[in-house]
Amino acid sequence: MDYSRPELADRLAADYVTGTLRGPARRRFEALLPAHANLRAAVRGWQDRLMPLTATIPPQRPSPQLWQRIEARIGGAAAPAPAAAPARGWWAQLAFWRGLAALATVAALSLAVLLAAPGPAQPPIIVVMNATTPPAGTAPGAIVPASFVASISGDGRAVVTRPLTGVSVEADRALELWAIAGSNAPRSLGLISANAATVVRRGRLPAGTDALAVSLEPPGGSPTGTPTGPVLFVGRLGT
Amino acid sequence: MAAATDWSERSRELAQLLARAGLGDRAAFATLYERTSAHLFGVVLRIQRDRAQAEDILQEVYVNVWRSAQGFDAAQSQPLTWLTSIARNRAIDGLRRAQTQPQIQGVASSGDDEHEDPDVYDSVADDRAGPLELLSRAADARALAACMQGLSAQQRQSVALAFFDGLSHAEVAEQLRQPLGTVKSWVRRALLALRSCLENAVQRDAAAG
Repeated sequence: MDYSRPELADRLAADYVTGTLRGPARRRFEALLPAHANLRAAVRGWQDRLMPLTATIPPQRPSPQLWQRIEARIGGAAAPAPAAAPARGWWAQLAFWRGLAALATVAALSLAVLLAAPGPAQPPIIVVMNATTPPAGTAPGAIVPASFVASISGDGRAVVTRPLTGVSVEADRALELWAIAGSNAPRSLGLISANAATVVRRGRLPAGTDALAVSLEPPGGSPTGTPTGPVLFVGRLGT
Repeated sequence: MAAATDWSERSRELAQLLARAGLGDRAAFATLYERTSAHLFGVVLRIQRDRAQAEDILQEVYVNVWRSAQGFDAAQSQPLTWLTSIARNRAIDGLRRAQTQPQIQGVASSGDDEHEDPDVYDSVADDRAGPLELLSRAADARALAACMQGLSAQQRQSVALAFFDGLSHAEVAEQLRQPLGTVKSWVRRALLALRSCLENAVQRDAAAG
């Protein structure tokens, strides 16, 4: 079958999402998805149209034991109360790095090269930091604009951050910039402005810095020396 | 209540939880479970009516969500749509033909085979809302309401049985005592009508805004 034919792609996607595509045909279709962007787009379209219908199904509480079973499967005890802090820093989790890879726009130059051979001739490194969640009201399929650009001077001694889009921060909150090196705890680089360029001078970036992140903190910055609020923007260095 | 609007609002709240879960934040994942598990369990239970099996399915759904949360792209789909799709896929994959039989019990006793009764399924004694009732609740959202009106009773019933209760084309045909080809074309036409109607509604909204 020629899956690039729009009508066929649409019919298969509709059957798949409705659930009437069954058995081997369903598995064949799923196997085709990774290689066919048009099929994936058709599936997304039907999911967007049909899934809101399920809002009318009365919710049913699963047994309390189910969450314990899930916790056991994902390894380690998750905090049951939403307000409780995670037992380990999120930056230590491998998943964080996979998340960074998915979220961050990768800058062209590597800081590792820079730190190995510092010199006045080195050009600054530009790190584009994207929001970890799109702004409210972003339409499905819309491109999430980058929110900050950080330029790191050639000798690694200064970082200048510039907001690209309006970032609204409540009056009693501040933005804090962090350098992240491997699985070490993030190192604070200082507070940055949400609506103007900020020059951050903090000696030299920690060796092995491979990402920058911006978190939401109380005024004056994180009281603990590690991020306490949600991470709003991340950008990765290197290739 | 506007179901579709509410859907988007809930999704926005969930987007950040999902992003944080993708970064390995277990507390965020616990909150995500707290806010979504009853909805997803309701969806799965319609398709898989055995509670123990439905819980097994839900467990796999959340383990899968934890592992793939960092791949979730909020720019591409709404969190609730993404989560519900994963849950429905798992539930449908878990279906075996024999297990769907209890869903059809009690309908065959009607002696009037030739008469088309659009509410035949809803008349089955059951504390669950019938699929048509679910569709009419969804129709509280204005765009969907207008779109649903354009469908025939058979089209509405076919698509509701397939979508909410996970019946295959053949099972819908058996249930409604109609030829397989007829049922397939009802479902197809219902989906196409729904789509073109929703697209028109979106265009009207865009023009008005």
